[in-house]
Amino acid sequence: MDRIRRILSLAIKEFIHLRKDWWLPAFMLLGGASELLLVGWATSRPITNLPLMVLDQDRSAESRQFITDLQNTGTFALASLVPDFATIEDALDRGDINAAVVIPPDYSEEMLAADGRPQLAVILNGAESVPGTAALRAVEGLARQQNEQIVIERLKIDPELFSGFVPRIRVWFNEALSEALYTTPAELGLMLEFTVLLFAALSFSRERELGTLEQLLVMPFSSFDLIAGKSLPVVLVGFFDFLLMLGMVHFAFSVPVRGSLLLLLVLAGGYLLVELSKGLVISVIARTQHQAFLLVMLVGMTDFMFTGYAAPVESMPPVMQALANLIPAHHWLAILRGILLKGSGINVLWPHLLWLLGLGLVIGTFSLRFVRRALD
Amino acid sequence: MSLRRLWAVTHKEIQHILRDRSTLVLVLITPTALMLLMAYALTVDIRHVPLAVLDQDRSQLSRTFIEQITAGEDLDLYAMVDSTSQIEDLLVRGKIKVALVLGPRFSEDLLSLRGLPMQVIIDGTEPESGAFAVDHVGSRAEAFLNEQLGKQLAAQGLAVETLQPLDVRIRAWYNPALKPRVDMIPGLISLVLGFPALSVALTIAHEREHGTLEQLMATPVGRAELLLGKMLPYIVVGLANVIVMPVLAMIWFQVPFHGSFPIFLLLSAVFLFAVLAMGIIIGVFMRTQAAALALSFLLIFFPGFFLTGIFFPIASMPEIMRLEALGLPGTHYAIITRGVFLTGIGLDVLWPYAVMLLGLGAAFTGVAALFFRKRLG
Repeated sequence: MDRIRRILSLAIKEFIHLRKDWWLPAFMLLGGASELLLVGWATSRPITNLPLMVLDQDRSAESRQFITDLQNTGTFALASLVPDFATIEDALDRGDINAAVVIPPDYSEEMLAADGRPQLAVILNGAESVPGTAALRAVEGLARQQNEQIVIERLKIDPELFSGFVPRIRVWFNEALSEALYTTPAELGLMLEFTVLLFAALSFSRERELGTLEQLLVMPFSSFDLIAGKSLPVVLVGFFDFLLMLGMVHFAFSVPVRGSLLLLLVLAGGYLLVELSKGLVISVIARTQHQAFLLVMLVGMTDFMFTGYAAPVESMPPVMQALANLIPAHHWLAILRGILLKGSGINVLWPHLLWLLGLGLVIGTFSLRFVRRALD
Repeated sequence: MSLRRLWAVTHKEIQHILRDRSTLVLVLITPTALMLLMAYALTVDIRHVPLAVLDQDRSQLSRTFIEQITAGEDLDLYAMVDSTSQIEDLLVRGKIKVALVLGPRFSEDLLSLRGLPMQVIIDGTEPESGAFAVDHVGSRAEAFLNEQLGKQLAAQGLAVETLQPLDVRIRAWYNPALKPRVDMIPGLISLVLGFPALSVALTIAHEREHGTLEQLMATPVGRAELLLGKMLPYIVVGLANVIVMPVLAMIWFQVPFHGSFPIFLLLSAVFLFAVLAMGIIIGVFMRTQAAALALSFLLIFFPGFFLTGIFFPIASMPEIMRLEALGLPGTHYAIITRGVFLTGIGLDVLWPYAVMLLGLGAAFTGVAALFFRKRLG
């Protein structure tokens, strides 16, 4: 009973600190969510509007039709029709456009001939590979579609019987292929991890830098009381952040919760404890808040690399794939996506759950012993 | 503005930096270490995408097709399955990212020129691998068609190209294979060079938190001198990293560097001025280091990551966000780094971005100096 009172008094002390500088609690509580809203809104959308230049040397109904079809893919915005190739070259050098199309003078002639081969040259700006790849896919997709049409006409195939040469695509768990569905949960994970790591890492490093840690240590608190008292506010704030951001991705970005919400909340709590443990270790290693921050950056970004958000883990070299298993955030993102989008339960997620539990026990025990020793 | 007083502040800051060795080491290595980390993880070429195949045709042709699809390192055959429910199970458990379903009339339709009945199912929670697989299947299917139907078409007096009449030649300039590594690494430089700005925000908040800012203000040092003096050592720290970056990019990651190094250095200094000024504003407005840190994350780090056009094209963002992107120094600098590295353009093209950076830096410093006195009172 006494111990609980001591821990609570420490936790309350933390909140009083927070009140002194009201910016900090505002950032801790609302920062992640507002950033998520902003970033989600800006980037959770298909790649569209890429500036495109067209050099139409044919100037026929057919070539104009192709330009219209290209615009109708939605990927491109026609920047201009240009008179010569030099303009395209210059615009690419300046980085003003992402793609350019050259339609040669015999385009319509070849198109209308029974065995003609209409040519098109497409130049992409490789200095930006993400829009470049999107443009490539849009052009290839359109070309395949048009090929089919031409083939149907030329070979006089009955369209009723024709099943197409291009594979039909179905997207599971995200039928409308909404970008928000796969980006925002991952961004939520990122914001949550950094909030908790940062907050935890500042807990002891701040006291030490400001010279108040000695005062705390001479008070009748055991090192366990100190750790618990420092951890409680971090976990509370982290969990509040999680709820807020979960509500945001659900209501603002229409991300479904197809699995069990209760399971998700329980696992979120567990995950927070693991990140908290890491943050506390940083907090006693760092002698200043500045150091604590730089360490948080290095640890947090390392984790982020292995979550599977930035790059698919199964494409990494085997050593890095093995390493990914040791990163709690990797399992957390799999759980988060599994429960939200796939409706997975424990029967499917148990390997990640076991990993998370094991990592949590190891990291948690190490952290507790390490921090206690550092404080004593 | 007196150069002597400016130097006095800079000198004091250098003393602080040098005295705390472990922080100095961290400040110096963080940008480069993060660069290495991100370069490795963000530029993974997608390969070995796990695939399940449901072959409802079970013919010689369908087996040949499956062999061709899974040859090479792009798609790995995880399992041949008998039903769509098995596909669903594997997708849910994350064992596969893609499934290919060949229809029961696969060979019949193919030989009678009625198409290639198949479906590609992709995991919408990680669609990057899926989109890659769709590309792969599409191009392999074309090759397969030509190979299988070539003879038949020739018998009818038709050329092999009959099935792909459009002759589209796509070329990517500056990065012919569209490898993410090539353009991400120059882009990421703009992100990691933002870190000295976070350090500047912290040192100013540090002085305030420890009460030493009042002492500084009691000296004849002016506001602008104080702020610029704080900034200078970190510009040097940043430039030390700027020198390392192209070497790392060229030798370690084999990214080409076509531009001029002195111009890169010059424009990097201009960028550091702008982004450090952002750090100064944060330091001036926040009273504690913790708050300065949190705000730096929200204003410098996350936007630097998501909103500067490194990963997501600015042209595709909503109007308001495009404006915000213009206000971020990283946006302009990412154009500069990619231009200097990959396109090899010089000041004749890049000057507007340099002017934008100078303008942003001057505006940020001005605002910071203006509010500095007030916040002290």
